[in-house]
Amino acid sequence: MASTAEHPVHLQHHFVSSDQQFDASKMGMWLFLITEILLFSGMFVTYTVYRVWYPEVFDGMAVLLDWRLGGLNTLVLLASSFTVALGIHYAQVDNKKGLVTNLILTFLFACVFLVVKYFEYSAKIEHGIVLGDGFAPHGVSHGVDYATYDVMFAQQFFSIYYVMTGIHGFHVLVGMGLFAWITIRAMKGHFTSAYYTPVELCGLYWHLVDIIWIFLFPLLYLI
Amino acid sequence: MSHAEHHITPIKTLVQVIVALFALTILTVATSRLDLGAFDVLVALAIALTKGALVVSVFMALKYDNKVNAVVFGIGALFVIVFLAFTLFDTAFRGDLSNTTEGTIMEQKAAEEALQQREPDPAALQFNRSNE
Amino acid sequence: MSQVNYLNHDKSIKSWLFTLDHKRIGIMYLVAVSLSFLAGGILALLVRTELLGPGETIMSADTYNQSFTLHAVLMIFAFIIPAIPAVMGNFVLPIQLGAKDVAFPRINLASFYIYLAGAAIALTALVVGRVDGGWTFYTPYSTSVDDGILFITAGVFVMGFSSILTGLNFIVTIHKMRAPGLTWNRLPLFIWSIYATSIVQVLATPVIGITMVLLFLERLLGIGIFDPALGGDPVLFQHFFWFYSHPAVYIMILPAFGIISDLMGTFSRQQVSGYKFVALSSVAIAFLGFLVWGHHMFVSGQSALSSIIFSLITYLIGIPTGVKVINWVQTMYKGSVWLQTPMLYALMFLFTFSIGGFTGIMLGVLAVDVHLHDTYFVVAHFHYVMMGGNVIAALGGLHYWWPKMTGKMFNETLGRIAAALVFIGFNVTFFPQFILGTRGMPRRYYDYLPEFTNLHVLSSVGSYILGVGLFLILGYLLHSLFRGKKAGSNPWGALTLEWTHTTTPPDPHNFHETPIVTRGPYDYHLAPELFGGDGAAGDGHEEEAEVTVPRGQATS
Repeated sequence: MASTAEHPVHLQHHFVSSDQQFDASKMGMWLFLITEILLFSGMFVTYTVYRVWYPEVFDGMAVLLDWRLGGLNTLVLLASSFTVALGIHYAQVDNKKGLVTNLILTFLFACVFLVVKYFEYSAKIEHGIVLGDGFAPHGVSHGVDYATYDVMFAQQFFSIYYVMTGIHGFHVLVGMGLFAWITIRAMKGHFTSAYYTPVELCGLYWHLVDIIWIFLFPLLYLI
Repeated sequence: MSHAEHHITPIKTLVQVIVALFALTILTVATSRLDLGAFDVLVALAIALTKGALVVSVFMALKYDNKVNAVVFGIGALFVIVFLAFTLFDTAFRGDLSNTTEGTIMEQKAAEEALQQREPDPAALQFNRSNE
Repeated sequence: MSQVNYLNHDKSIKSWLFTLDHKRIGIMYLVAVSLSFLAGGILALLVRTELLGPGETIMSADTYNQSFTLHAVLMIFAFIIPAIPAVMGNFVLPIQLGAKDVAFPRINLASFYIYLAGAAIALTALVVGRVDGGWTFYTPYSTSVDDGILFITAGVFVMGFSSILTGLNFIVTIHKMRAPGLTWNRLPLFIWSIYATSIVQVLATPVIGITMVLLFLERLLGIGIFDPALGGDPVLFQHFFWFYSHPAVYIMILPAFGIISDLMGTFSRQQVSGYKFVALSSVAIAFLGFLVWGHHMFVSGQSALSSIIFSLITYLIGIPTGVKVINWVQTMYKGSVWLQTPMLYALMFLFTFSIGGFTGIMLGVLAVDVHLHDTYFVVAHFHYVMMGGNVIAALGGLHYWWPKMTGKMFNETLGRIAAALVFIGFNVTFFPQFILGTRGMPRRYYDYLPEFTNLHVLSSVGSYILGVGLFLILGYLLHSLFRGKKAGSNPWGALTLEWTHTTTPPDPHNFHETPIVTRGPYDYHLAPELFGGDGAAGDGHEEEAEVTVPRGQATS
């Protein structure tokens, strides 16, 4: 307690230095990220197992997912990753305006992603493609007769689709909460080049959400 | 160690990476339009892995970070592969026992007894044991 | 009690409930997991009582099924998994590292409340429905029965978070918060084993999370991933479940290895033989533990290829485990073995765990497993490893660190009597189950053939002896809180930081100044000022249990 001169406000008592605290937080975040990867790995394994068993069904069902909307969302998420990386860059060079702008942009990109997702989901649900045993494709739109897609194991494909994108979408939602929080803190001037750990950690989280989508997009929409 | 050593990624690098990521996204959509047969999956995965690697190494700055974080990430990825591979050892090879028969144990036993009745008298095979 | 310590510096309830002090969180965990153990133990006694004779003895078949299921869920998810890491890990690990706290104290407190919430959700299942399929929740049974399963899966999911956060916290703490001079080669072996455990917790637990989510959705909506009626694959559920639950048995046993290593070194007054091998074998077990889950599924209909691979790697686990057992025995050789209560548990562990380990290898043999699968042999093996391994080691650790946690010595004579009762009771309970299993007694059955009666009665009698032993421990430990002799700062003459550099009980901030480590955790030959250099300190300390510790005093 005597060394207040060398004791910044953000430094917790059990750490020796800011660097130790920063390194510890960052390593903790990386460990958390691999738990996220392992969580999603369960879904990727399910996908692979069923794809190996029923490749022609999976090929056929991918047609029902709109690659234009999926591609758009991919670009949106990539752009949001870019703005986060820019934001951290500006935090490191003490540019508060750049940081806040980029954090807000990230938040907006996340909104766009979820809006697109909403339209995708509702178009599916409208035609009886739902999660669970109520699965019963029907109706015609854009020249596609959904009833012809009511084949064995089609349900598995869409269960995997809904669970994977659903959990991913939940992570986007959590990310939006995090970015709302750090944007407010950034506006209040809490972050400087000496202390921007929360921005860095939220950024890492957001990049991971992006990476998951980088894999989901081709696996579900394209192949 | 001081904060001066925190790596600051130049904006130019970030822009290069996002351009590459956009280009790869267009590429993966384009290749999926072509019919590459079995290579479809491989090409899509290779592109996805490249994109993922770019995000991890530059956006997440793992390339410039403390080595221990790279090890953490590597171990996470390794165990995803373990999970996938060992599950596929089962699901991709399900029912691989080629020496099983459709018959029940009772049927097999009956067949075995029928075989035994056709065997020669053990006394006739006595010479086999005399060598011991 | 004039000296300020973590127990008396603020006595309000609020200061406990919102504490960020790793020691207090450890104590709160101790209370919570002990209650789980008590509840699970009472259920076990009820189950054993029911099995005193064939047919109905004290409860209906339905109650019996729910009892053993609840016994298993409580013991595994609410007791064994958090027991050693969350109680002793929390209390001891930061001090052994010379740190003031774990890296993320708030997350540490959160993990405790998440654990409580998870346990509460799981227990809600009792109120709203019933769960009777055993702790493995195999589909399709689990998705076709009562709604209770929804709460159990949600509870397990939530408790998993607590486990992940604890593991994450410990890994970062071990990496970033070691005291000056405390190199990886000077870490106490308890730290090494907690480190390996934490890796498993972080890597495996998320998979049980997603498994529980899928099971939940399968039961609620029928998503067709696991349910064969909808085109799903129930064996896939088993893969998912065991990808977590097999490594989870190493979450249970690795910390026990750590305690035994510390006890062996301390009570033999010697460097633990093969320190590096013992340390790295923990990491090797953690790694190999991920590659063997399919040995639970030899008769599930999985491919023969995977059965062979899983069986082969299962044998490999025997190597690092054997390295440990041999080194523990070697550590006692030519040491000054001091047979205090904690050491009695360490010796007991060598015996019971070895039986558990060897029978595990027997079960890893494909053909043998087909015969023994789902019999009492598996039940006996499992309890020899979990109870004979984890619980015995946890009791050893609890007795070892009890003076540090509470500042009081327990009654040594009663401690030895209880240890003997536990040892006898445990073996009488579970050894007959090996015989029952080889003779074909299936596990989880309510009823049995009359010729199994004698062995079942013997097993039940053993469980009562075990129960008496455990209640005796509870009794004298609680008694010691009020009437126990005051403990000195280092009653066992140990060399790790929690004994040499802190007061008893420790200061709220652990150390008055950051310790500087100059020797290994068991370097008795480098500590002549403690023990006269010839390791003869083991004798004549039973009455006062006090050792003067010049270095410890110097820092206060």
